[in-house]
Formats: sequence, C-alpha cells, structure tokens
Amino acid sequence: MRGPSLAIKGGILLVAVFVALKFVLPLFTAPLPMSLIYLYLFLTTIGITVYGTLSGESTEALLGPIFRFLSGEGIGGAVKSARLAVLVLFPLLVGWQTYSGLAPNTQPPAESRTIHPAPPGEFVGLSNPLPNTPENVMMGTGLYAAYCLPCHGPKFNGNGPASDGFNPPPANFADPGTIAMLQESYLFWRIKKGGVGLSVEGHPWKSAMPRWEVELSDDQIWKIIMAEYAGAGQKPRTWE
Amino acid sequence: MGLILIFFFSVLPMAPGLAPLAYGQETVVVRAKLIQGEVPTDPAAPIWNTIAATEFPMSPQVHWQKRIGSVTVRSVKVRGVHNNKQIAFMVEYADPTQDPADAAALEFMIGDKKAHFAHGQPMGQVEGGPVNIWYWRNDTPAAADMSAMGFGTLKKQAQQDVQAKAVWKDEKTKITFKERKLSLRKDPKGELVKDPKTGNPIVDEETKVAEQEVRGVWRVVFTRALATTDKEDVQIQPGTFPNVAFAVWDGKKLESGDLKESGSQKAVSSWWYINAEPPPDYSIYLYGLIAVVLAAGVEFVIIRKVKKGQPA
Repeated sequence: MRGPSLAIKGGILLVAVFVALKFVLPLFTAPLPMSLIYLYLFLTTIGITVYGTLSGESTEALLGPIFRFLSGEGIGGAVKSARLAVLVLFPLLVGWQTYSGLAPNTQPPAESRTIHPAPPGEFVGLSNPLPNTPENVMMGTGLYAAYCLPCHGPKFNGNGPASDGFNPPPANFADPGTIAMLQESYLFWRIKKGGVGLSVEGHPWKSAMPRWEVELSDDQIWKIIMAEYAGAGQKPRTWE
Repeated sequence: MGLILIFFFSVLPMAPGLAPLAYGQETVVVRAKLIQGEVPTDPAAPIWNTIAATEFPMSPQVHWQKRIGSVTVRSVKVRGVHNNKQIAFMVEYADPTQDPADAAALEFMIGDKKAHFAHGQPMGQVEGGPVNIWYWRNDTPAAADMSAMGFGTLKKQAQQDVQAKAVWKDEKTKITFKERKLSLRKDPKGELVKDPKTGNPIVDEETKVAEQEVRGVWRVVFTRALATTDKEDVQIQPGTFPNVAFAVWDGKKLESGDLKESGSQKAVSSWWYINAEPPPDYSIYLYGLIAVVLAAGVEFVIIRKVKKGQPA
C-alpha cells in the first residue's frame, strides 16, 4: 500500500512546524513574532524542496502531485472541487491582502511598554543603609500615607483614590509580579527619579510617578521602601 | 501540498489582524468625524448629538507641587469633527456650579518627539519635546493658544490660532466613578480581626463602579485649523493618531476666598489619542482588483505551462 506522497509529507511537516512554533514553544518561552515563524516556515520549505529534488524520482514524488493538482489532469471528485476552490480563492485572497495593506489604519499605534526597564548603573547594587526595624517601618508607613497612598492606595494595590485617570495605572505592590520581583535598589531608583527618569522603553512621557528626590531625602525613600514591602506582604528580591 | 503552501503564504499574513484586540480600542481615541460644511463652534449645535463621545477618566494632579487630593470632575466626554480644513473638539463634563474661574484645556505633543504630559517636563533619559495647550477659561473672552516645555515655561504663543466657546447648563447628567470603601474586618462575634504577623486590625477594601446623578454640565468647543503656519502648534493630519491629554479646573470660590482648583491644582488625564477621519480613498479598491486580476493571470500562465509539460 502506497503511503502518502512526498508532497503530502512535506505539507504535514510544514503544518507541524507551524503548530510547534506558534502554540507549543510559547508554553516554554516568550511567543515568537509572526515574522520569525514565517522565516522558519520558509526555511523548512527550502529544505523540503532541496530534499525532494535530489533525484528525478523524488522530484516526481514531490512535484508530481502538485502539477497534477494544478493542471487538473487525472483528478476527480473532492480533489477536483478543492482545486476549483483554490483557483477561485487564491486571487481573491491576494486582492484582499492588497486592499488590507493599503487601507488606512483605524487603530492607534501599538505601543509596547517595558514595565521594568533596566536601571542606570548608579542604581544597581545599592543596599538599604537603614535597619529594618519596627520604628523605621512605622515612619515609612507614615511617609507612604502622606505621599504614596493617593495613587498606590491604602492596601498597597495601586487602587488609590487618585489613580483612576492614569494610564499606565499606579503599580500594585500586592501583586507578586511587581516589587517582589525587584531589589530594593530598583525601587530606590524608581521613587527617587520618578517616571521621568525611565528609559525610553519604559515610556516616561506617560508616567504620573513623581520625581520624589525633589521633596524626599534618601533616608525617607528607604523607609518608604521598607513600609511598602511590609504593607504589601512581600519581600524584596535579594542579590544572588 | 499546494493547498497548504497557498494557505501559509496568503492567509497567514492576515493572522495578526484576525487576533483579538489586546485592549478596548474605542476608549483610547477621540474620533473626529469628517463632515461637509463648516465645523460647529457652538456647543448647542445639533450635529454634536450625532457624534459618539469618548469618555476619559480624570485624576487629581498629584505629579508635582502644588498637588490636590480630590477634584470635582471625574471624567470628561470628548467629541470631534473636522472638514479637512478646520477641526472642532467638544469637551463635556459635570460641574455643579458655573464659576468665572472654571477652565478646561487640551494638550498635544508637537512634532516627532515625545513630551511628558506634565507640560512637557524634561525626562532624564529621553530627549523630550514641547507641548501645545489650548486653554479656555470662563471669565476670559478668547481662548489661549499656549506652549510649554517644562514647569514654569507655560506661555501664550505670539500667534493665536484657537477659538473656544462654552455653555454651562443647569441640567441633570449621570456620572460614573469608582467608589472605594474601607472597613475593619470583624469576626462573627463582632470582634476586630487582627493580622497575625503585625497584630494590626485587618482592613478590607471594596471597590465598585458607582453612578450618580448630578446637576450642571459644561460643554466647551475648541476650534482650530487642522494645519497652521505656527511651528509651535500641533499639526493634525487626517488618518494619524496624535496624542492628546485633558485638564479641567473647577473654579468655585471657597469660603476662605481661595479657588477650589487653580494653577497646578486641577483634574488631569494621561495621554490618549485623537484621529481625524481621513477622506475616503477609493483607489485601494482599484489596486485590490488589479491584484485579483494579476493573481488570476499568474494562475493561468502557470497552469498552461504545467499542462504543456505533462506527457500526453
């Protein structure tokens, strides 16, 4: 019994590569951009073509079914209907692609903001100079209530009374994806230099975070940091 | 195999466009509809009732001193129209009282450089640009066309291109806002529940979207040419998405004699977008049709070639 032709096997391989790159790989890594997936599919197609044309016999096995499909010779039934559908749909799809490419964009530009951009070198490796004592945490909590609570909220969850109009919204410290993932020196940078101190990938022009170095001393900022971790029930990431 | 190849290389490029939207698009853009005739400068013009508004939440200004803890205006509804020459925006918001010092403003980035929404204040690692501010105040007959690039640099431009007209009506309107309630957690006996780590009473927070009927609505229409000769002005090109931000002041006089909101004590928004509807371009249909014909022609040529090459 003849197995599937080389053309069919090549098609199955292409589908498998696409499914693996689009749906399986993101389970383990960041999703791949479509442009990269197209590149891998293109390389796979090249490989199938090279393999399939190594000999006259394999060339016929690879290209024969394709040529018979295109010419319509020797096919019938469902395959003939499929051929007709392809011949009709292909030009329509090309026309649709052309139209879509030329039509004006009705959506605003996609802007990908990096939530935790890398800090400047001077803020890497700093340690909190103040001891983590109940007194320091209490003083930090008072400072937090005065300066930070309106945006970051009494529950440290970014749900402060002044937070509604800001985009991006104030950080939710209770979320394990925020301050629990960061060293204290990172928070020191962000509080001291504010939103305007972010690098371009952090979209500083959008951030409502004040530049607190204008109003708070370094010690006050370190105390606020201790209070944030205590109030949010989180621990800072430590240096490895 | 051919089916699969055709699928991959013609349908898949469309795949990103078929993906679901990552966020609510219609809440981030003021769509200025293209109309025939003059743009309305009067807030009472009937055409405004035919234009969909986009609502934007507002926050008290807490970014820089002098801050304010809470503000009267919790959100603004914005509509836009243009006729390829002039553009008009109507900003509508609830304000219980009509006061001489009531004010509203639109802010735009100028050129290609990003500008911070706080008057284009300098950014540490990014070279920012200036902002153009269209400002209206109730007790001033004309609107002000202003520029800024950092705190303390706000100035009126030499060339004034913006007009504004506003109407306050003592009418009912519904506002929605987030309502937050804090409460001390209690056990079934009514005793305060304490955090085992700190010993402090546990505070619960309940947030819900509340609706309230209020009286008093301001409608402010700002009008300007889409493009001006002033390089300090934002140039609005149909089809593009320039950034816009809003500010509103409730100029009510308090018992102390101070204004409730003035200067930097105001309601502000983040950067959003405007989009002036581009004029229809029918040539894209023609190019699409040409592409269909060309693709069919290529099919015909390939099939004829394949048939010729096959054995009899």
